[in-house]
Amino acid sequence: MNSAMKQDHLTVLSEFLHKRENIDPARVTPEASLEELRVDSLLLLELLFEFEDRLGVKMPQDIPRPKTVGDLLGIVDKVTAGNGV
Amino acid sequence: MASARRVAVTGLGLVSPFGGDLADFFGRMLRGESAIRLYTREDDVLRPLSVPAVRCANFDADAALGRSLSYTMDRYSQLGTTAALSAWRDAGLPRTKDAPRNDWGVSWGTALGGTLTFESGYIEMLRNGRERVPPLSVVLGMSNAAASHISIQLGLGASSATYSVACASSAVAIGEALPKIRSGEATLMVVGGSEAPLSYGVVRAWEAMRILALGDEASAVRACRPFSSDRQGLVLGEGAGAMVLEDWDHAVRRGARIYAEFAGCGSTSDHDHLVRPNVDGQTRAMRMAIQDGGMTPDEVDYINAHGTATREGDPIEIAAIRGVFGSRSAAVAVSATKSMHGHMLGATGVVEAIITVLSLASQEAPPTAYLDDLDRECTGVRHITGGSLRGSLRAALSNSFAFGGSNTVLAFRAPH
Repeated sequence: MNSAMKQDHLTVLSEFLHKRENIDPARVTPEASLEELRVDSLLLLELLFEFEDRLGVKMPQDIPRPKTVGDLLGIVDKVTAGNGV
Repeated sequence: MASARRVAVTGLGLVSPFGGDLADFFGRMLRGESAIRLYTREDDVLRPLSVPAVRCANFDADAALGRSLSYTMDRYSQLGTTAALSAWRDAGLPRTKDAPRNDWGVSWGTALGGTLTFESGYIEMLRNGRERVPPLSVVLGMSNAAASHISIQLGLGASSATYSVACASSAVAIGEALPKIRSGEATLMVVGGSEAPLSYGVVRAWEAMRILALGDEASAVRACRPFSSDRQGLVLGEGAGAMVLEDWDHAVRRGARIYAEFAGCGSTSDHDHLVRPNVDGQTRAMRMAIQDGGMTPDEVDYINAHGTATREGDPIEIAAIRGVFGSRSAAVAVSATKSMHGHMLGATGVVEAIITVLSLASQEAPPTAYLDDLDRECTGVRHITGGSLRGSLRAALSNSFAFGGSNTVLAFRAPH
């Protein structure tokens, strides 16, 4: 996974959070806590759906609940690289 | 039977098809102004819709609720929550999370709930071949969504129930709150209903029953003509309304403005036919509401009729009214305001109740619009036509008679 693709996933995430919750994209960094970005269980579902839609992948049914932006991107990276989680 | 605890109506709110506020809406009702317009909707594949309807075209959910909240709602919930927040403000209640409100609840009505969400989901899957629908689909589509959002936004901890009784849904929701306050189970209930039924499938389904009034750009405004000889059928609409019902003493103690007393309710079933209404079932419901309200038929000065303008339904309702009021029928003022706001299915009961309450509060009742040629099968009551009726209005009924034969009549008394 090269850094250009990682940036791509981060962009998908920050664009979605901006559109949906008006979150400033500057706050969406890998260290940021999802809870602080107001990502509750429903919004997380929407995010996973958005990634599936935009990247043409299928997120597995049982994934560990990510706590940070970095956790979430890690899951997406693994799925798009074709590895299991 | 009436109990010792009286119930006050202390707040009113609705989403107006005219785009203005409650006072603007009622003013137009009094002047006989119709919100019905030709609704056209294009479609790529199927024959486009073109039907007289009532829409809240100016409603901006993002502005009313904020985008992050409106996004989690089907339009039926957006309309409903907006109406409820408006009624809450109107009641002079603060938005605070401090005071526990575990004996304040919600009683809501809707016929079709999140039907627009279902339709867009089906289109995505069946027409566009998508395997999955957005993950919020369940919470958008579920029929209790509006009531839940209202409880959450207002911090209400008592029962939050949703009633689905077709055209009588919100009337039932209002009626079911009455015993809760009378018994002391609840001190305050936010009641009402909302409906956003103008999906492609729903409109076509109603068209198939051949009871929708047809029209074009010019004639749409007067398409719904209850009690007229040439009435052509009903007009569908979307909308939402809410009322704050409150223990009378509680309302007085906090200095609330009391619009009217919610005196009684009568609910019956025709047990007869899926669509054809029944004189006996309606008569019993009106009698029951009057008796439950601790009043006599002689005190009822105004009836907001169900009056959908179907060929079959209108004369049956008039016959039922005449059955209840007998020789006094010609003195009982009646109007069918669906002639102006259309039939909003689950939301109609509350909007008509709001009109009835405001009529008592202002001592002025709206007409049936476009009633120029009264059907001789609908004579015998005092039809309000042309302009409004000003006069002494002591008590009033609001009728809701649903498909399937469920009848609910609400009885209100002018405040004193």
